[in-house]
Amino acid sequence: MLLLTALYVLCLWPFAPEIVSVQTALEVVMAMLPLLLLAIGQTFVLIVAGIDLSITSTMAFSSVVAASLMTGDGGYLAGNALAVPVALVAFLLIGLAVGYANGLCVVRFGMPSFMVTLVAQTFLSGAAIWFTSLHSTSVSIGDLPAAFSVIGRGGVAGIPYALMLCLVVAFAAHWLLSRTTLGRWLYAVGNNPRAATVSGVPTGRVIIIAFVLAGFCAALASIVYTSRLETGTPVLGQRVLLDVIGAAVIGGVSLFGGRGKISWVILGVLFLSVVDKGLQLLGLSQSIVFAVKGGVILLAAIIDALRSRILVRVAA
Amino acid sequence: MNVTRRAFNLGAILAAGTVILPGAVRAEDEKTIAIMFDSLQSPFWVTGFDVLKEKAKAAGYTPLESISNLDDNKQFEQVQSMIQKKVSGIIIVQTDSKAVIPAIREANKAGIPMVHFNRPPAESDAKSSAVQADNRAIMKSTVQALVDKARKAGGKYKAAILIGDLGDQNAIQRRDGFFDVVDQNKDIIEVVARISTEWNPDKAFADLTNALQANPDINFLVTSSDFLLPQIQQALKIAGKWKKTGEEGHVLFAGFDGDEGQYAALKDGYMDVGGVQNLFYEADLAIGAIEKMNKGEDVPKLLLDPGFVITQETLDQDRDKMWGYAVWKKANG
Repeated sequence: MLLLTALYVLCLWPFAPEIVSVQTALEVVMAMLPLLLLAIGQTFVLIVAGIDLSITSTMAFSSVVAASLMTGDGGYLAGNALAVPVALVAFLLIGLAVGYANGLCVVRFGMPSFMVTLVAQTFLSGAAIWFTSLHSTSVSIGDLPAAFSVIGRGGVAGIPYALMLCLVVAFAAHWLLSRTTLGRWLYAVGNNPRAATVSGVPTGRVIIIAFVLAGFCAALASIVYTSRLETGTPVLGQRVLLDVIGAAVIGGVSLFGGRGKISWVILGVLFLSVVDKGLQLLGLSQSIVFAVKGGVILLAAIIDALRSRILVRVAA
Repeated sequence: MNVTRRAFNLGAILAAGTVILPGAVRAEDEKTIAIMFDSLQSPFWVTGFDVLKEKAKAAGYTPLESISNLDDNKQFEQVQSMIQKKVSGIIIVQTDSKAVIPAIREANKAGIPMVHFNRPPAESDAKSSAVQADNRAIMKSTVQALVDKARKAGGKYKAAILIGDLGDQNAIQRRDGFFDVVDQNKDIIEVVARISTEWNPDKAFADLTNALQANPDINFLVTSSDFLLPQIQQALKIAGKWKKTGEEGHVLFAGFDGDEGQYAALKDGYMDVGGVQNLFYEADLAIGAIEKMNKGEDVPKLLLDPGFVITQETLDQDRDKMWGYAVWKKANG
């Protein structure tokens, strides 16, 4: 994947020389951070053979609720020193609660995860718009405190806070998947839930945890996005779902469960972010941009499907 | 000779580079303008996008285009990319007036002028200029022209207005422009229906149908946007009121925007008056503002397009200024 990224950069270099520059590298890293947080969360769910379509709406809903607490434009805690900490807690609580509700519906009612999370997506999108209309005369909630905006744009000793946050999450996720019992259980449930149950894995609890982790990561991504835009918006990240799933699949996480690594996901997100940056620098028409990105993601999904089919044949 | 996988990969990269490098030589003195829209969801924006590109080319710039697909964060990243491309200016249509502020600040930092096309940003310390139709003035002139026709025809009128989404400043200004005139003419016009469409065509159709059932004598209708014309036509047809000027039961009807539907309705005699946003003039204003800012001249925060009013009588002489006529002509040959 790294090689493919390098090849892409090399091919684009003559047409958009800016792609080989420190500035571009920094912007690619900054652009991929929230996407990586979302993709890491999605990876947990994909590993247990599920999918979470509600992560973008979770982001949007937590964004407007937290913004309504800390906005200087009539926020509940406007001007209060506790505004930012309370808002951060609100982000995380909403993410955790949505993830838990999704997981619970999948496990308790045996509903397909795509259906549960699609309903959650619709519900939360509507709720975010309704909530915003209660707190703002416009379509979003701005005037957020500088102490919050700095999370997405500031840093220490040249290292952005968002990068630090992302590295911690990536290391923790890698450790969880590769070094802990829970990690092994996640793969076991994704590979064969019945066999996992027979082997004593608490399958239901493991699936719920996967969704809770996805919700948690969505909340963290929402913090980064909201602080970067200095605005709580009910349409936050509504268009990134395909990029998130695409990046995970390009990184080798299987849509059929039981397979995926955080290091692969990082490379997948990096590749997609570099592709995106390159297309932006070329200033091409949007139809070409969509065609290229869609083609890359489709190709990755086809490769995943073929790989799974071959693995099944080999196993048989 | 054995070729390792690593050697093969390295060779492939070098080969690709060798083939591509000589073929692409970039003109260093090329002047570029970024034209960044959030979507192309209606003929107005599609035409605006095309007109801006044409005007930029005519002014000697190479347009670099981007569409954010209604994603504020993506648009922010696209602005960063255009700054890196060292464009001469950025013309932007943002989704959210507040979320665009960090992008304006980035452009300010890089010394690149930014002009908002038809959607001004929220108040902030960031510096940019905006081009916008003078919605209230255009609507006032439009409704005044319709009232003049009503007075000429004589009689009393029951009026209905289709209002847009009241979270949208454009919709509020158009509504206010309507009442500025109607309130001065209460002797002949009584407003019996204020239809809040929220810019939703389905809602517009349902609520106008209900209004026509509740008030079958509505004979004066104004829409805040031409994109609702198909729904209005359908509702009037159901009520037996889709009649040409001069026919029995004709509803005095005014549109707003100047799209191809408005042109067709005026040409066919179903609409009496149209308020037109002068898209060509707005594009000139936007590019002119960038050129002025690059020369260090001061440009007002808001540049207004006064628009114009078109009627069945002035259609032939003024249609070339109407962006909807360009669209109509393209579609109808």
